[in-house]
Amino acid sequence: MARRIRTTKNLAKRMDLQYFKKPHPLRRWRHWLSILVPLVAIGWFALQRANSQKIYSSGPLSAAHAVLGKQCNICHVTKLGFFRAAVSDDACAKCHDAPAHHPDKVTHKVSCASCHVEHRASPRLASTDDSSCTQCHANLLTRSGSSQFERVVKDFDKQHPEFAALRPGGTDPGQIKLNHYAHLRPNLAGPSGPVQMDCQDCHRLTAMNSSWPYSIPDSAPKPLPVAGRTDADMRHPRSRDYMSPILYVSQCAGCHVKDLQFDKRFDQAAPHDKPEAVQAFLVQKYSDYFATHPRALSEAVAPERILPGATISVNMNLPLPVPRTRQEWIDQQVMLADRLLFDKGCKLCHVMIEGNGSLPTVTKSSIPSRWFLHAEFSHDSHRLLTCTACHDRTPESRQTADILLPSIASCRSCHEDNGPQHDAASGRCSECHAYHDWIKEQPSKGNFTIPELRAAAFR
Amino acid sequence: MRIDQTHRTWFIGTMAGVLVAAVIYVPYTLTSPEGANGGTAVGLVYGSLASACMLFAGLLGARKKVPIWRIGRAQTWMRGHLWLGFVSFPLILFHSGFRFGIGLTRALMWLLVVVFASGIVGAILQHFMPRLTTERIPLETIYEQIGRVRLQLVAEAQTVIDEVSAALAGNVSQATAQQRAASASAGTMGGVTVASGLQVDEGASAQLQEFFRREMQPYVANGGSRGMPLADRSRSQSMFQQLRLLLPPNLHPAIEDLENICEEKRELDRQVQYHRILHGWLLVHIPASYALLLLGAVHAVMALRY
Repeated sequence: MARRIRTTKNLAKRMDLQYFKKPHPLRRWRHWLSILVPLVAIGWFALQRANSQKIYSSGPLSAAHAVLGKQCNICHVTKLGFFRAAVSDDACAKCHDAPAHHPDKVTHKVSCASCHVEHRASPRLASTDDSSCTQCHANLLTRSGSSQFERVVKDFDKQHPEFAALRPGGTDPGQIKLNHYAHLRPNLAGPSGPVQMDCQDCHRLTAMNSSWPYSIPDSAPKPLPVAGRTDADMRHPRSRDYMSPILYVSQCAGCHVKDLQFDKRFDQAAPHDKPEAVQAFLVQKYSDYFATHPRALSEAVAPERILPGATISVNMNLPLPVPRTRQEWIDQQVMLADRLLFDKGCKLCHVMIEGNGSLPTVTKSSIPSRWFLHAEFSHDSHRLLTCTACHDRTPESRQTADILLPSIASCRSCHEDNGPQHDAASGRCSECHAYHDWIKEQPSKGNFTIPELRAAAFR
Repeated sequence: MRIDQTHRTWFIGTMAGVLVAAVIYVPYTLTSPEGANGGTAVGLVYGSLASACMLFAGLLGARKKVPIWRIGRAQTWMRGHLWLGFVSFPLILFHSGFRFGIGLTRALMWLLVVVFASGIVGAILQHFMPRLTTERIPLETIYEQIGRVRLQLVAEAQTVIDEVSAALAGNVSQATAQQRAASASAGTMGGVTVASGLQVDEGASAQLQEFFRREMQPYVANGGSRGMPLADRSRSQSMFQQLRLLLPPNLHPAIEDLENICEEKRELDRQVQYHRILHGWLLVHIPASYALLLLGAVHAVMALRY
């Protein structure tokens, strides 16, 4: 019986030489899928495109712009005929009047979109990336060639200068003789007995409405009437960011009103006002007293009203001459009160300058309302911290010139570049710095109707 | 295509390209607001380069359609397809800043992932499978001819059966003493009943015909006959061993031929299996590539618009 023999010839004879002309399942599938899949892709695209232009979107819009998601052409204004529709600054300016950043100094203009990068699902588009700032500030060039600002600022962690006020030579411009150490001692003489003062007795956010503990009753600044205040006022960040200014009536008067007492015969203290006003008040007060006290000329001067060694306000020769007329008596009483006030009471806190006239000049208090003139800071955002956690030198400060501003090192103990990635607070530029000078912002006029904004359009 | 020493230049060139792209990407993404962005100048360069690579890779299909075109060697095209296709993936990631985006960009990114992943799988298979096929399928034939070969095997087997049957009909007395002894002790094995005694040759012919009709012919004639007894080599050997017991030794070579036909059929089945693995990924890779190129073109135009 013949055995099965496999030779090349036998094998070749088995082949159909036209085999490649016949369709094969794998090839057939490949062929049809190569047509079908692109067709499905194009069909999907056409379907999506029919509903909206969102199909072209490179990513979700920021939270503030999400409402514009159905109308790409609100920002993507068609230019160059009908094709080009990149976002221009004009489109942004329809809603945002964002004042330019040092327009007279910068060497080149940057577009809005170069810093505020959209389609990144940003919860806050204003929180720009540091590179938006460092593209110029890493090597700051100005038209004039010089700059009042640090030339190289690359990041917050390492390449950011110390705050201007804390650099060598910086002093507190304030002219009020305030001793924080003395004010924070226990058993301080308060209006109604010994007190232990706290930072918040004098330093509070503007938005706070509670009464000041050391104000003169009924003299503290009143909150705005309800009709004039809205919830927006309360929520506005600025009112919760900064401290109320230090005012005598609200923060000092409760204790220091006694320093404006000028005569035991009067319960009322001298007004906390300019020397001229104080002088007028005193003349009026003594004139009234003389009118109601016929024996005033013979009253002796209380010894505590004569300040030994004082030379600032008046040239006083002791013993005092005995007044003979009403006018001489009033002049002498006013002179004594002036001396007590201007040489002692006022000088406790104010810098008094002897002028050419009979009255001294009070140096302007010049307490800075804001230390960071080129940065923003929110005390409210930092409310979880004790005041001295950052203002750590305050309890020991005895001099007005002491700058009690926390240093950048204090900020860096919590804030870092890419902070959230390191379980730290963010250290990005926009946390503190605003690019636009919003003080110059002009009100913008609305441009769109709700249907224009919300209706999906095929364009 | 095997990725061997001949790919060295392409490999070094590709890796150098990826390295340069990565080195440029790091400072670019660190200094760009909100990271890398396809719309920036650098981002557009990445996108353009990646598109060019993908386009070249896609042109391989056209080059294959017209093999007589004298535009470079087929091997060069294949290597270019492999390595430029590979490099397009990191370039696109640099272009997009490793973001998938939404809408069209997301669809494109997923298509790219599918094309890239299927391409990588394909390259691995093309590297290893041909050698594996040669080793495990010595009787490999042209894939498209497997159906035709199966039918030829059936015809071949039928011829053998007919010859054996004829031989049995004319040579009953030729049964040997050994065969007689063996068949006397036989019983039922592997579904085949072994006749006993001196009636072996008459019954053997019928049983051989029955075996061919019920087991061998359906197995050899049909592809994908997994689960049939003859698809399993050990069961097959057992069954043919029983057939040998039925037949006189002078007919055993015929049984060997039948067994050989079944072995060839098993190899054909294995070849089908390997071929599907070796080329099946193209069912994903090629259609997805076309879709990617098509939607990519739309993306390029509309990205320039917006």
